[in-house]
Amino acid sequence: MNHFKKLLPTPSFLWTALFLLFLTPWLTAQDSPEPSADDTDAAVEEIVETEESTEVAPPKESPYLAVVGGDIYTVTDGMIARGALLAKNGRIMKVGKRVRIPKGARIIDATGMRVYPGLIAVDSSGFLRGSGASARDGFDPFSLTLDLGLAGGLTTVHGSNAVAKLTRGSLDGMLLTTSPWVKLNWTSTSPASRRSLRNSFSKARDLIRAVRAWERDKQIKSDVGEEPEAKGVNSDHLRLLRGEATARFAANSLKDLLGICDLLEEFPMQSVIFGGREAWACAGRLGRVNARMVLTPRAKQYADDRLNRPSGWSIENAQKLWAAGVEFAILPSQKSISTGGIAGRDLLTLPMEAAFAIRGGLSQKAALRSVTLDAAKILGLEDRLGSLEPGKDADFIICDGDLFDYRTFVQWSVVEGNVVYDKQEMPYFAHIRPRPASEKVLAAVVEALEGESTEVAVEESAVSDVDAPEEE
Amino acid sequence: MIAPLFLFVLPVFAQETEREPLGRLTAYRVDHVETLDGDALKKAVILVRDGVIERIGKTVIIPDGAVVKDFRGQGWTVMPPFTVSHASAFQGATRGRGRNGKYVGIDTVWLADNELLKDYLSHGVLLAGIDPPGTGIPGRTSVIRMTAHAPVPEAVVQDLHLKLTLDSNRSAKDLLRNGLKDADAAIKKEEKAKVDWEQARKDWAEKQKTKAEAEKKEASKKEAPKKEGSASAAKENDKEQKEEEKEPPKEFTAPKIDSQLSPVVDWVRKERVAQIWLSDAAEWVHWNDILKDRELPWELVLSHTSSHNFHEVVEELASAGVRIDLPARLAMQTRYTRIHINLAAELVDAGLEKLVLRPSSSGVSGLSSWRVGVADLVREGLDKTIALKSMTIEPAASMGQEEVVGPLVVGMAANFIFVSGDPLDPLAEVVLVVEDGKTVYDRELEEQEEGR
Repeated sequence: MNHFKKLLPTPSFLWTALFLLFLTPWLTAQDSPEPSADDTDAAVEEIVETEESTEVAPPKESPYLAVVGGDIYTVTDGMIARGALLAKNGRIMKVGKRVRIPKGARIIDATGMRVYPGLIAVDSSGFLRGSGASARDGFDPFSLTLDLGLAGGLTTVHGSNAVAKLTRGSLDGMLLTTSPWVKLNWTSTSPASRRSLRNSFSKARDLIRAVRAWERDKQIKSDVGEEPEAKGVNSDHLRLLRGEATARFAANSLKDLLGICDLLEEFPMQSVIFGGREAWACAGRLGRVNARMVLTPRAKQYADDRLNRPSGWSIENAQKLWAAGVEFAILPSQKSISTGGIAGRDLLTLPMEAAFAIRGGLSQKAALRSVTLDAAKILGLEDRLGSLEPGKDADFIICDGDLFDYRTFVQWSVVEGNVVYDKQEMPYFAHIRPRPASEKVLAAVVEALEGESTEVAVEESAVSDVDAPEEE
Repeated sequence: MIAPLFLFVLPVFAQETEREPLGRLTAYRVDHVETLDGDALKKAVILVRDGVIERIGKTVIIPDGAVVKDFRGQGWTVMPPFTVSHASAFQGATRGRGRNGKYVGIDTVWLADNELLKDYLSHGVLLAGIDPPGTGIPGRTSVIRMTAHAPVPEAVVQDLHLKLTLDSNRSAKDLLRNGLKDADAAIKKEEKAKVDWEQARKDWAEKQKTKAEAEKKEASKKEAPKKEGSASAAKENDKEQKEEEKEPPKEFTAPKIDSQLSPVVDWVRKERVAQIWLSDAAEWVHWNDILKDRELPWELVLSHTSSHNFHEVVEELASAGVRIDLPARLAMQTRYTRIHINLAAELVDAGLEKLVLRPSSSGVSGLSSWRVGVADLVREGLDKTIALKSMTIEPAASMGQEEVVGPLVVGMAANFIFVSGDPLDPLAEVVLVVEDGKTVYDRELEEQEEGR
């Protein structure tokens, strides 16, 4: 993006960087003692050099990206108030209160803002074309859908049988995995297909047992014959039982959900169930079979009065599942994205759907997991995505308020360490509550350089204009 | 049978009578000349002898006996003829996606008696590129000249660039990748065949040598009495030798390459330029993904679709160092904004040297809006001389027709047009087209004829 190149060399930006490094203790080296007056001067000198070097060398050359001043929601390790995050070559290097920022690094001032892992949509439409690996050839790294996705805070989406990062302008690192799940049809309306599925799983289990026995025999005896053949056994089902794949079900009614629980009890395997409107009624069982869910908190299903048992949807669905230890991801009712839809109904405002789960009693922490780490788990990518930890992918978003507040906008989206969305540089939302310019910060810098006490001025002047709601 | 032929010949005759006698001088006195070679000239004279520009400038002495054509005082502009890089209006067929390298653009075009030729000429267009229809690897481009008046007009160039297209379709990428892969394989196969042939020639030559030596020895031994056993052995030897005696061909013949693939092979061998059609910025990324670090001769043809987002990759496009052809019109940044993007100007600012602007829509209507579109781009920042070049000499250079349409300088063929005003003024019309010193279109005459 051409626009972003303009951003760094502006004086205000460098002044901000200088200011932050000059004043805030978490930017100094972890092992250094309290900075003396001389040390501070040295730090300033260093940064002045940085200013010169950025003029000569294009900022693209530095592999470092730093976000400073924001509250960092790590997901796995709580919130770090006014922390810093350093990324190098698309990976997170450090997250914490005190992080040394290398010379020439691109620095984003997130003072008064919040940093979250990039949001993950476990299903989507419109982002990817084709199926599986060919999604790379069909990928449009400049599409409007992609830009809107980034504006909505998404950094990874599943669709077209592939999982992809929204690497704007590039194909590098875009395709993460293909076919993350094995779809299984297990509904009460088709007893025949249930029977054949169970038979198939039985065969696969028999084979696994036979192979295990054969392996055991091989260690004792010399003549054990050939390894049992996998003839007539569904290879997908074999992978599922061996824990090499995840089964995907779709079920909303209690009857179907309990049926799936039966199957999972008989044949334990990793699973994800899309739908789950009546899941609250069997949350405990779903927890015991380790089923993961994909929920739409506002998807309605009215209670059936003829039934002598709990039925229908519940706004407490997510909360009850969380209490039962069920991990889930949240999806809005529409998997597409647009500026024209009703807010909260499509992927442009994924956190709004999760906010309704919070309304139903779910904790903020759990809601955050449902659109980050737990979604990553459902896609089998929790080792790379979903939290802000050293070693994980530098995919994160910087919001001007609480993620689940309806007023909150994503200010920057970062994928693979590249800033791929900047609210003020894109035409979609720049005009709505424009980001407070760095003038206030700049004024504070000037004040600081004139030798006045500024420790307090930092907090007051740099705080965002947006009234962020209190944390949980 | 004869009647249509007769009708055919008539316009040809009419053309003949208008010709200037050879060897004669014609001097055009004009108000304004866009030579497209340095600055424009005001109040200049173009002296043409035998269809070639002999002198051009403000102070040209007009020799006695020269026919003087005085167009001063009307505000007319003289400039090189327009050249349409991709005249899809002529295309007479459709074809789908696939590897269709054997086709050429002119295959589907019927030039004889084609009214479009005159329409194009009336808009000051002398040359036009004809693309093969279809997508993927649709074939090779051709070039036609609007004044091809033979009974069966032919293309100036039958077989020029290799056309390749990339669009949102996924299979388009595989088509190109496989094309490159197969071309590489074909080249490797030929190289191997050549090495094998050279080895066979070498072996054969050596064998001939040893054989000759052996024969010599045998000849000297012949006097000595033969043993019975050795005779049968010699016979076997003879048999063996006969089998091996088949001489490898003296000339190397390369293995046959599939006609659909052979232009791709030419391209990979850098013997042919490819024109890469891209539908949006995404395809530029995909094109780089396919090309990797290969160095091949190629040009870009950008076709704006609904996305209008080539501005995302302007710097990369400009620094690729290739000729870029785009439709002459302003684009919008996205569907949701009214922000104008002047892609041509942005590309030139970013360092693009070879710019081609083509009419943004096909057909004759596209021709009339062509100059309007370019005028928009000039009004919003594109340099005017670059703009005029991009409609004339730059597309001609892409076609290898620099000799036909080039800057108006001494020694150049006398091909130029007269526009009744500024060429970028939509109200100005092409009034006269001069080809090789002959008037091939005269608006006044045409209008008189039409009125009759």
